Amino acid sequence: MKHTNRIVNLLVPIVSVLLSFVIGCIIMAALGANPATALQSLWIGAFGTMRNVGTTLSRATPLIFTALCACFAYRCGVFNLGGEGQFLMGAIVSCVISTQLGITGLPAIILCLIAGALAGGVWALIAGVLRVFRGQNEMIISIMLNYVATLFMGVIYTSWLRDGSVPQTVAVPDETQLSRLGDLRATTAFILALVVGLLVYYFLFHTSKGFQLRAVGLNMTAAQFNGFAVKKFILMSFIVSGAIAGLGGSADLLGTQFRLINGYGSGYGFDGVAMALIAQLHPIAAIVVAIFFAALRVGSTTMQAATGVPTSVSDIIQALVIVFTVAGLAMVKLPQFRAVIDRMATKSVQKKEAV
Amino acid sequence: MKKLLALLLALTMVLSLGACGNKTTTTEGDANTGDTSTGDTGDTGTGSEGGAESTGLKVAMICDSSISDGGWGMSCYNAMVAAAEANGWETAYSDSIAQSAYYDTIVSYCDLGYDLIYAPGNQYTDAVLQAAEEYPDIAFALLNGGTDTPDKATNGNVTSLLPDAQQVGWIAGALAGLMTETGTVAFIGGMELDTTLGKYEGFAEAAAYVGEQAGKTVSALDIVYSGDFSATDKGIEFAKAMINQGADVFFGDASAVDSGARQAIDEANAASGSVKIYDIAQPSDLLGQNECIIGSQVTDNTALVSLCMEAVANGSFGGEVIYGTLQNGVLSAGALSDLVPAEVQDQYNAYLQEMQDGTFMQ
Amino acid sequence: MISEVLLSTVRMATPLIFLALAELYSQRAGLVHIGLEGLAAIGSLVGFLVSLITGSPMLGVVAGAAAGILTNMIFAYATITLCAEQIVYGMAINIFAPALAAFIYRVYFGAGSELVQVGLMSTLSQSLGIQSNNFIVQLFLDQTPMVYLAYILVIVTVIYFNRTKSGLNYKAVGEYPKAAATLGINVIGVKYVASILCGALAGMGGAYLTTCYANTYVDGNVAGRGFIALAAVIFGRWTGGGVLLACLFFGFCDALQIRLQVGSFGIPYQFFQMIPYVATILVLALLGMKKSGPKGVGKAYLPEER
Repeated sequence: MKHTNRIVNLLVPIVSVLLSFVIGCIIMAALGANPATALQSLWIGAFGTMRNVGTTLSRATPLIFTALCACFAYRCGVFNLGGEGQFLMGAIVSCVISTQLGITGLPAIILCLIAGALAGGVWALIAGVLRVFRGQNEMIISIMLNYVATLFMGVIYTSWLRDGSVPQTVAVPDETQLSRLGDLRATTAFILALVVGLLVYYFLFHTSKGFQLRAVGLNMTAAQFNGFAVKKFILMSFIVSGAIAGLGGSADLLGTQFRLINGYGSGYGFDGVAMALIAQLHPIAAIVVAIFFAALRVGSTTMQAATGVPTSVSDIIQALVIVFTVAGLAMVKLPQFRAVIDRMATKSVQKKEAV
Repeated sequence: MKKLLALLLALTMVLSLGACGNKTTTTEGDANTGDTSTGDTGDTGTGSEGGAESTGLKVAMICDSSISDGGWGMSCYNAMVAAAEANGWETAYSDSIAQSAYYDTIVSYCDLGYDLIYAPGNQYTDAVLQAAEEYPDIAFALLNGGTDTPDKATNGNVTSLLPDAQQVGWIAGALAGLMTETGTVAFIGGMELDTTLGKYEGFAEAAAYVGEQAGKTVSALDIVYSGDFSATDKGIEFAKAMINQGADVFFGDASAVDSGARQAIDEANAASGSVKIYDIAQPSDLLGQNECIIGSQVTDNTALVSLCMEAVANGSFGGEVIYGTLQNGVLSAGALSDLVPAEVQDQYNAYLQEMQDGTFMQ
Repeated sequence: MISEVLLSTVRMATPLIFLALAELYSQRAGLVHIGLEGLAAIGSLVGFLVSLITGSPMLGVVAGAAAGILTNMIFAYATITLCAEQIVYGMAINIFAPALAAFIYRVYFGAGSELVQVGLMSTLSQSLGIQSNNFIVQLFLDQTPMVYLAYILVIVTVIYFNRTKSGLNYKAVGEYPKAAATLGINVIGVKYVASILCGALAGMGGAYLTTCYANTYVDGNVAGRGFIALAAVIFGRWTGGGVLLACLFFGFCDALQIRLQVGSFGIPYQFFQMIPYVATILVLALLGMKKSGPKGVGKAYLPEER
């Protein structure tokens, strides 16, 4: 019974991905491109060479952080949609520290990462406080906070910390940049993302606090009834998830982006939520899903160059993956559908027994 | 039942998407029969259609505005395609990309083995320099790059293509100074770049100078920036606000924002019943696109890109600044509309001659 | 200056009103929809194409509404019938619909094409042949039919929700769907009707941008209006009148920000752009839970659980 659940939950994303690609191929064929060549160039663009793998992993890094942020919050029943804003606050604080305080090297890196995590946590806490003490919908608040953070970043790179002729800040000094993994474009930020993923996994599934947090997420009323400090858990998950996103912003700024710039971080928060849901809130699965989406994005440029299929086809495929998976996962939870699966499961068990 | 419904949903989506794809491709085919560009995106292999033999060399362009914006993006893209046809190159492009994605996009093309990366704007400087350091064998052409940018590239593989911003401003400013009746001219910028500011300053000083020669006081409103090359709505609102402050000749460098401004100007003209407010287009000759366009400041990007392609083909590329000026023919003034009286046209041509001779405003 | 800002406010508030009404109808039936941005994008493209092909901006608006409805049916089926997470689905629409719009435009017109411009809807005073620079005439007569429609729709909405039985039932679905069902209200049906209204209004809001406002289509022309509309619904306390005032206020902020830039006052313009979001957060912070909108918003409704 539990076994069938697992299979269904794994099947849904896989079928969704296949279905999305089938539609993508139909569009490509309609455009007169050969879908096989297009998919091949998509693959080569994302994983064809070590260099491309590095590009894919570096593009995946910020997505992993925001996906983990969403995983953590959603596990506690907190719908933090503010990953983007928290990510940006982390990046903003790191930018200020690394370029304005005059410190460089490892101490600066450590300070940036800690401050970035703190900034993300504090930014998320605004939504947390309004939810816990004012009973407001945290989704709406965190979306609004995303815009405030984006515009605030705009003030910084167009006015306050602007560098020279282009609206952008100075780059993080070379000594404070995160080192690359060998020849790859991915940096230690990717390793940091993996470590955070493992920590989140360990905390959620192998500690008693993590168990309690999930219990709060599953049924808040029951958890309260059992004497769990629900409010504390909610506030904590806001802070921790925000800190994860903030840490991501900080690591991405020091590792890849180096400067605040127009369009930075745009969509990362929502992407993270979508990826977390496709991964069914499992931190390790979220890492895999984030890499998958990054590969689609990196590969699509190659695809456009090689076959003339616009990158918007890749956007459509990505959106369809989300559309199908989320609908599919919701569908298999419906009572009617449950009944069908259970019946099929019992039948196959009976068959096995008969043999 | 739900399963069936879900299947149906999926099926209809497939069909509707497929259908729309089909329909649009047919129209695309129709649209393109009379057009030299064959595909909707950088089709490879079109380069050999032109006069030159295919060299197997490839150029890619990145652009933050759309290449269908009827302005900067379109002109730069068409310049690349024309240069590629003349030199037998293949082309590709990525447009409407966010500033934070410049570097990633450039690197993707480098990984694909493109020989020349064409980045039409000062704002790509940092991304180009970063990529140039990692890909020493690839050539990077930076339109509106700084004079010191090629020296900053340690591998010597970056070339700045530098149309003289002051002269760009002059070409438009002189016409504006001659044509303004209210004595107020306006400039709408895209991003807050040095080259944009340079154009504005040239525009303002030329307008003031030319106005003074004609015995009127001409001043330019403070420069405004849309901050985004695709914000048509901001172009409309900026232009309305500036018309309200008395501006009657407009110039700018903000692609889709310009088209918004022109719309607002056309509307204001229509409301007053006669064309009294003008726009000067750039960077290609757009006369006739809108009623209010009285002339264009033309930048021959094709020539600049062609120079780069030749240098790459014979292995001499890199590390230089190629200036674009009135003197070497890269900059010029486009055709003037009938709204510019014949004697003013003569005066304007005289000023252009002065600019060429280096005696303007001396 | 002031009259110009007011005229600009009307221009900028109108698409917000359509989008905010779309959100209001959706939320009043318990469906929180953050995908307006996407619905408006597709509405704006389809509106542009149809008005270009037929030469009639009116048909463009109708087609934009139809495109909005079609796209929103994906959202409706997934969130109402399959009970999928509404926020995530709205977000998926936000990724999907603009990509589709960009794709269609590119395929239809080709790369590096000339700028395509369409004729805009004529204003009432143009149709009547009135020429005047009088501020009052401009404000009340020099507007496209869409502007009048927006205000009429606000009045209709206020009457519908407060004065009709059907409106009260509609609101009940958003507040207590199970109780509504026991009273014999077709909860699922109302939610689907809400989705149709939401799609149509959002599509019209998008089409307004390309048939009445700008005469060109540019990718990303919705430019965050969907989210400002979401803010307007909350800021306007989920009532028709409140939403109208919120839209006018946010439109005013936007108009002011443009004028302040032209006058260059030296304050970073982003602070003005923050106003809608900060104002909404403050309103939510100051008002307590009791006034935080329909209770059933965002929750899936399973009829079987009755």
